[in-house]
Amino acid sequence: MAEISFPLPDLGEGLIDATILEWLVAPGDQVERNQPMVEVETTKSALELPSPQAGRVVRTYGEPGQSIKVGEPLIIFSVPDDSAGIVGTVPMEEAPRRRVRLTARPDED
Amino acid sequence: MSETTQPAAAHGRHYGTSSAHTVEGTDPHLHVEVHEPEHDAGLRPILLLHGFASNSALNWVDSGWLNALLTAGRRIILVDLPGHGRSSAPDDVDAYSPSRIRADLLQLATDVGARPLRNGDPASGLDLVGYSFGSRLAWEFAATQPELVHRVVLGGPSSTDPLAAFDLAAATNYLATGTPIADESTASLLRMAQALPANNIFALLALVEAVSSEPFDPAEAIPNQPLLLIAGDRDERASTMDALAALAPHAQQQEIRGRNHINVVTSRAFKTAAIEFLAAD
Repeated sequence: MAEISFPLPDLGEGLIDATILEWLVAPGDQVERNQPMVEVETTKSALELPSPQAGRVVRTYGEPGQSIKVGEPLIIFSVPDDSAGIVGTVPMEEAPRRRVRLTARPDED
Repeated sequence: MSETTQPAAAHGRHYGTSSAHTVEGTDPHLHVEVHEPEHDAGLRPILLLHGFASNSALNWVDSGWLNALLTAGRRIILVDLPGHGRSSAPDDVDAYSPSRIRADLLQLATDVGARPLRNGDPASGLDLVGYSFGSRLAWEFAATQPELVHRVVLGGPSSTDPLAAFDLAAATNYLATGTPIADESTASLLRMAQALPANNIFALLALVEAVSSEPFDPAEAIPNQPLLLIAGDRDERASTMDALAALAPHAQQQEIRGRNHINVVTSRAFKTAAIEFLAAD
């Protein structure tokens, strides 16, 4: 198994952070790509971020009410080794409908 | 002539600006989208009406509503109100009057295939979900179109009219000279309008002006359909929700704990309650 970390994505409009409203997934959950993952609030609006990845949730960052900066870790998934390599390629599923998308943090190791 | 939104035969999205029809002789140039579910539940379409200074993308797409409703098998009609989102911003103040907007909504609902309610046909008619100013429009639309509207969800609703009480002179003065606005409700509505760089402030002020000539009077026309009124328990703008519910014969209410007028919109509990309510006979 491999772990993939996703940071809070750029939410546009010059926003630099967001506050966690509610997590819709929890560590241990098996989630599908595009499944609703977390509700966040910015100074402009509230957003529901879809899961960028199918996999098992290893860890989520931030309790409701806590602020997270764009680029800081948001969630870590555990995925089978043979699917970790496809990150960054064209996904098989339909693209997310939302305008805000998460992208994997490039491997920093 | 602008692109026509076709009644959808296949899955997928259908974008268009306005309809091929005119209302009172002019084309309203509203941005309309019809979204088809992958697995159709066989129920009537749902028209979603966003709030003041918002738009359908922000209120219904980014917030997760569109996906939640499509997953529930519902066919969805999104529209940007005049002067909002991707709809045009006419110079004529009358284009923003609530009665004119309701006429435009009726035309577009008909154009995308909504048909009058028929006994025993769950695909007939139209369901509505409104938020804030969109709830005011939904209340009036339901009351005046009983043969079309089946059920209505009113999010963040108010029995009073914060837009009609808006101090237009103070707002105009603030924009021209920076003079602070004394009225807190006016100041916060203007902050909301200015929070989105894409908002057309002058179109929004035209809407405010049009609304103040037709302020919300919920007792004037009362919807007879089942209504679900929902707001966050920290939503001060919906503090008169009780009074609104008391006017209607078939209204139920729900509060979402810990949420306010801005952040109740994404609430899963809100979406789930709306989906269940609108799936009933």
